[in-house]
Amino acid sequence: MHTTESPVELAGVTRVYGKGDAAVRALDGVDIAFPAGSWTAVMGPSGSGKSTLLHCAAGLERVTAGTVRVVGGDITNATDAELTRLRRTEIGFAFQTFNLIASLTAEQNVAMPLRLAGRRPDRRDVRAVLDAVGLADRRRHRPRELSGGQQQRVAIARAMVTRPAVLFADEPTGALDTKAARAVTALMRSMVDERGQTTIMVTHDPAAAAAADRTLFLCDGRIVDRLERPTTREVAARLAALED
Amino acid sequence: MLLLAWNSFRDRWQVFAGAVLTVCLGTALVQSSLLALVAAATAPVPDHLAPEDALALQGAYDGAVTLLSMVLALAAFTAVFIVASTFGFTVAQRRRELALLRLTGASRGQVRSLLVGEAVLLGLAGSALGTVLGLPVMRAQTWILERFDFAPTGFAAEWRPWAVAVSLGTGVLIAVLGVLAASRRAARIRPQEALREGAGAAQVMTFSRWAIGLVCLAGAAVLYVLFPGGGAPLPVWFIQLTPFLVTVPLVVGCSALAPLAVPLAAGLLALVFRGVTGELALSNLRSDARRSAATAAPVMVLFALTAAIGGTLATVGEAGRQESLRTVDGELLVAADGPEAGIADAEGVAVVSAQAEVLFELAFAESGASWYEAHYGLAVDPAAYAATHRVEPVAGDLADLAGNAVAVSPAEGREREWKVGDTLRVRLGGEESEVRIAAILPPSVAGPEYLLPIGLAPEGTGPWEHVVRLDEGADPAAAAAHLAAFGSVTTAEESVDAAAAEDERFTRDTMIVLLGMTMLYTVIAIVNAVVIAASNRRREFAAARVTGLARGQVVALAFLESQAVVLIGLLLGALAAAASVLGAAAALRVITGTTVVAVQWPLLFGLALGAAAVVGATSLVTALSATRTPPIRLVAARE
Repeated sequence: MHTTESPVELAGVTRVYGKGDAAVRALDGVDIAFPAGSWTAVMGPSGSGKSTLLHCAAGLERVTAGTVRVVGGDITNATDAELTRLRRTEIGFAFQTFNLIASLTAEQNVAMPLRLAGRRPDRRDVRAVLDAVGLADRRRHRPRELSGGQQQRVAIARAMVTRPAVLFADEPTGALDTKAARAVTALMRSMVDERGQTTIMVTHDPAAAAAADRTLFLCDGRIVDRLERPTTREVAARLAALED
Repeated sequence: MLLLAWNSFRDRWQVFAGAVLTVCLGTALVQSSLLALVAAATAPVPDHLAPEDALALQGAYDGAVTLLSMVLALAAFTAVFIVASTFGFTVAQRRRELALLRLTGASRGQVRSLLVGEAVLLGLAGSALGTVLGLPVMRAQTWILERFDFAPTGFAAEWRPWAVAVSLGTGVLIAVLGVLAASRRAARIRPQEALREGAGAAQVMTFSRWAIGLVCLAGAAVLYVLFPGGGAPLPVWFIQLTPFLVTVPLVVGCSALAPLAVPLAAGLLALVFRGVTGELALSNLRSDARRSAATAAPVMVLFALTAAIGGTLATVGEAGRQESLRTVDGELLVAADGPEAGIADAEGVAVVSAQAEVLFELAFAESGASWYEAHYGLAVDPAAYAATHRVEPVAGDLADLAGNAVAVSPAEGREREWKVGDTLRVRLGGEESEVRIAAILPPSVAGPEYLLPIGLAPEGTGPWEHVVRLDEGADPAAAAAHLAAFGSVTTAEESVDAAAAEDERFTRDTMIVLLGMTMLYTVIAIVNAVVIAASNRRREFAAARVTGLARGQVVALAFLESQAVVLIGLLLGALAAAASVLGAAAALRVITGTTVVAVQWPLLFGLALGAAAVVGATSLVTALSATRTPPIRLVAARE
């Protein structure tokens, strides 16, 4: 467990795509810290910059200006090797499309980050994580033998197995039906409550955002509003106002 | 990492099966060519043979060694080329999977070692199968060699234990070489590509593609410029090698630059392809230039090598035919077993030249070493020869060709420095003697390279050919009727044409031996590339059908695309082949003074139609099978 106050901090982060007249400011001077053990949802209309925010915070994209600190270290100019190390130890990812490796079983998928890091995966650790996402009995199944909700839970288990300082989730409920989505949000909530998992989630789903501790609203690359512990209805209303 | 390689191998076997197949066939082909080459190089010449027979047998084996070296070189090149393009393609098809690994914490090195690990597995599997398959291939190859008289009767290659080690080694090496470039590219895949749908559209014209393409084109251009040899004539055997020197680098260069040719070909085809299906086919072609280029690559190598080798040999043959026609100054030819002195006295005959081929050896001694080289010479009566052939010696006089003297037409290296008056040691009919160079003949395509006075020909030389020039106004038909008493009579044109036909048959046989197996291999590679390309397109096809295309339209779309891809392959292949044929023509021009280009149109049309049919049929079958599932299931499916 990491004791850092804010595992992820962005200071004056600007990200510009393209040059000259075609330049687009996807992020425009964003300052934000994500406190340890909290779950933050990021919302906004399409093109508001929420995916760019997630990618910059996770070191997947370079920022044009400003600094990004992950677990105390400045990653603004980190090398590929440093970013690889970061992804192995401090960061976990979950996506809208679950991105499991089709040729590997649930168990092998979950063990993959440990193996890539050159660690011998402890069977009990892997099973414990699968147990935590409620899939202990499915560990020998391949992704195509699992439902969408189950695949997403395997993906979350894979992200959690390295005990990362931060979990990044990009539309984790986007491809799921309501029931499966509710199960996945409940799982993420319990990860935050029981393990103190710092989580940053981009979403379109007001119900998922309502499960988080706070919700940030982005518009044209800036943070325009934030709500603490909102209800689904409040989130939906705020979002509707932004999209008008 | 090896476990992951194994797992991904096990699971994606349909795509990898194609790669294994190419390695397997490539290994079998290389192994078989190598064993046949070793057998020809170490073949014993029995002691009890007469000197001429032993010399002829050794010559036959030497010829087989030369030919098999080329077979081996072609097989190795084609195997590396096909395997490299197959592997590069499978890596491109898996961008997202590799990006995902990067996202989960794989370093660049790990992605590289994953792919190299896979290549080792594929190489081992493929070459193990190839070692076994190599045996029937070897039998087929030696049968073809013997059947077309490129090896003496009874020639047999045998399997040797070291072949296993060599084959496994080559198979793995070919696979790893093939994957190296692709793995470097794969290691550069950025992790966030896993996050986007359809992130496969990476930059196609990478730096290394440009570099390889331009270096190869430049190399071929330099060779092309050097080919006429700065005015000095090149030996004919060297001119026949142009396909290897010019076309092979061009094939590599063109395949690297092929994605650039895709929009070009698409533009051309836009004139023919009409309607919504045609437009869609062309935009698919353009949007995945890499896939189009990868499928076109084996078509290109097939067409380029066949057209280049066939065209070059045919051009040399045609230049030789025209040269012979210009040289012979006579109307009739009489073939007989011995020299027929009576022909000179026959009615209507002005002059006759009796000539026969003689096999002899030149002896060399240099810095303590001595060796013999076998050559064919023509035994002639110099005065009669000069009267029936338009040959002007460059130096010396044909009239001096008597006693121990020879005339030479220098073709290469050492011979170019020979001067009139030099002495050569020759071994003829088992005896060694010294001869003087009486005249230097101009360089020639059809030969002869050596003229010997008739007195030097050993006992039993023959058969003899008599070139006859008739008296002014004599009736050729009547003269031919008289001369029929001495042997079989033909006109000079008939004789040259018969020789040319013989030459053509030889060219065809050479191509069958040189290219037969390799071409079979590329055809399988073509089918393979189409299948691999289609394996990734089920969802794309499904999306097209959800948008409103009927299944038949999707299949038609795939078919049109496949035909466009064939066209790209044929165009690039023709370009690479044309350079070789024109290079050969330029080099021949230095010798003969005239420009001759021969193209085997029927062969090339047949090949083009065949490639279009094979690719078209394969794409129909794969598109039908890929559209069997109802589209909505595929569009909705994840992972």
